[in-house]
Amino acid sequence: MSSQITRRRFNAALAGAGLAAALAPFGIVRAQARKVRIGVILPRSGYLGFLGQSCQKGADLAPAVIKDMLGVDIELMNADFESNVDTARTRAERLIQEGANVLIGAFDSGASAAIAQVAEQRGIPFVVNIAAAPQITEQGYKFTVRNFPTSVDLVRNGLALIGDLFQATNTAPRSAVFMHVNDTFGQANAKAIAALMPRLTQLPFKIVETIAYDPAAKDLTVEVSKAKATNADFLLNVCRVQDSIILRREMVKQRWQPMGIIGPGNPGMYEEQYYKALGKLSEYSISNVPWYHPKADITRAVEKQFLKQNPKDKPMYHALNVGFTFESILIIADAFKRAKTADPKALNDAIHQTDIKNRMMLGGPIKFNAKGQVEGIASACIQNLNLRPTVVLPANAAEAKPVFPVPGYKKA
Amino acid sequence: MRRATAGLALLAALLAVLPAFARGYALSVATLILYFAYTGQAWNVMMGFAGQLSLGHSLYVGVGAYAAGALFFHYGIGPWAGLWVAILLCVALGLLVGFLAFRFGISGVYFALLTIAFAEFTRIGFDHLDWIGGPAGMFLRVAQRDTWDLANFRGPPVMYYYAMLFLTAGAFALCSFLLKSKAGYYWLAIRENEEAAQALGINTFAWKMLAVAVSSAMTAVAGVFFAFYYNNLFPEQIFHISRSIEIILGPIIGGIGTLFGPILGAAVLTLLSDGITELLGALGWELPGIKQVFYGIVLLIVIVFLPHGIWPGLARKLRLDR
Repeated sequence: MSSQITRRRFNAALAGAGLAAALAPFGIVRAQARKVRIGVILPRSGYLGFLGQSCQKGADLAPAVIKDMLGVDIELMNADFESNVDTARTRAERLIQEGANVLIGAFDSGASAAIAQVAEQRGIPFVVNIAAAPQITEQGYKFTVRNFPTSVDLVRNGLALIGDLFQATNTAPRSAVFMHVNDTFGQANAKAIAALMPRLTQLPFKIVETIAYDPAAKDLTVEVSKAKATNADFLLNVCRVQDSIILRREMVKQRWQPMGIIGPGNPGMYEEQYYKALGKLSEYSISNVPWYHPKADITRAVEKQFLKQNPKDKPMYHALNVGFTFESILIIADAFKRAKTADPKALNDAIHQTDIKNRMMLGGPIKFNAKGQVEGIASACIQNLNLRPTVVLPANAAEAKPVFPVPGYKKA
Repeated sequence: MRRATAGLALLAALLAVLPAFARGYALSVATLILYFAYTGQAWNVMMGFAGQLSLGHSLYVGVGAYAAGALFFHYGIGPWAGLWVAILLCVALGLLVGFLAFRFGISGVYFALLTIAFAEFTRIGFDHLDWIGGPAGMFLRVAQRDTWDLANFRGPPVMYYYAMLFLTAGAFALCSFLLKSKAGYYWLAIRENEEAAQALGINTFAWKMLAVAVSSAMTAVAGVFFAFYYNNLFPEQIFHISRSIEIILGPIIGGIGTLFGPILGAAVLTLLSDGITELLGALGWELPGIKQVFYGIVLLIVIVFLPHGIWPGLARKLRLDR
């Protein structure tokens, strides 16, 4: 077959190219208006694997719920960054190359910062679902927004809720012993608490002693006996799930019965494993964390879809992860509906104009400030009641009244 | 040797023109391959040439990254000045580790444990240093740039690719020179039989210290690159032992002690990792962690059937060793 270009061939090719060029814009508009392609980058394996999979459940249920809510079609493009920052960067590049109009992720601050740089270079909007490092929205990025409180806000909200708890229960503990894990997360929290406590003058208590411990510790006998010896009114505990179980058991063993255990913004005590391992001993532990509004219509829709897709699981154990991941996709769908196009630049402009009042998580409307940060995301006071995490504060979202001081072990 | 030189020139030419064909994802993967090839080459000086097993090379990446990053972050001192501070700090640290080990006869797995210990307590120490952000991390200011700002090492991804290509080529040339120098022959003698080398009058302490200094200095440069490429540093991530393992996997798979092994190993591992992801994606297998299973199996096969790495056998087959 001859590869020579004849006049006839050239004319045919020219006509074909002209037709394609003429029709292309319509094709693009039609294709773009139909659905938005969202690249979901989460750590579904590696040391953050469990949490990444929990977030993924929020992403997986979003297309069905949002289709009902907004009539928007969503195509998810999932990527696992294996809890590795290098992989997060290359996965982001890959998703953009495969045609993602927008990215969400990444649960981890380091990975989110790496993805934000790629998004910025490629002009693709990036919605951070969970990552607390304040600097992510302090870099002057034009394409990165975050619907999650910063680490400082998390602790500030958690500590403020302790004051609300004392007010709601007419109590005024004077002292607390502060125990925290000595990993990166625990150290960051301890520093934030040390910086914030002197400024929160409405809190009636003082921290009488701070005890750091290894999150992988198999025995906390010494730490608990040291804490008990302080005679503090309650235990302020920044923990993770494994150590919180060991700590609670040790408290029972040593018959230490403070007025309560309060986590000022950390996971651990509302997680499924905590209930399963401790049974009734898990009761009354308190965690002040961002949570979904249990009475919101959107929460019911999400819970229904969650149970449909995960019949053996319970949404309350994934509240934070599912809630914020779902809301990230909701932000994009809402922007897509207004922009009427999946063009990344138009979508980015629309995302920055977001004003969603009917939301799932507690707090004010989803509205980004000039830096791309949602302000006013609230925390809830979650107390373990009847072997489930129950919202007890703020009052407008409460499912039950808070119990503080907590009853003795035998009554539990 | 002529075939090897021609092959090397062809590879260099291909890598030099790669950005003309590759963008975004491919360029990002290529940069990552070169990064691991470079750090693998640096580690190879200690283990491959001098026979000293370090499992804590993340120490030098981390200290190098933080040194240059902190100078830039706090005082606006550019990476070129920060680079020398990073190198000096890492060489000092390396010499301290080396002195403690070689002076007191710590070798083999005990030396490896010492290197892990240094990386670990540096990580814990950095977690408590507020000046560099502590556990909350240090974020360098970034901006979207299309032009190359070499003075501040800021620019588009292609600039980082070429920087890494230049570093990898430089490391290859340096190692090639070192291997053929007096130091190289002494290191090989120490690696093969330290007592025999000593009996022949080689000052094993001094030559091993030189290997540690060269290796840590080279790794410090990789740390500076890391800081300005990723722009965010967390002690938990950069000093983690998994980072050290990532560095050593390339030379182990490619061929320890060879010049081309670290480059080949880094390419094979990175492409294998991404290839498996692509394959599983194409097959629709979205099981979390399944990639790691396949990755592990392939590594196992390579180690069982090619215990000296891929490169020595491949070089023989391609007659590049002649």
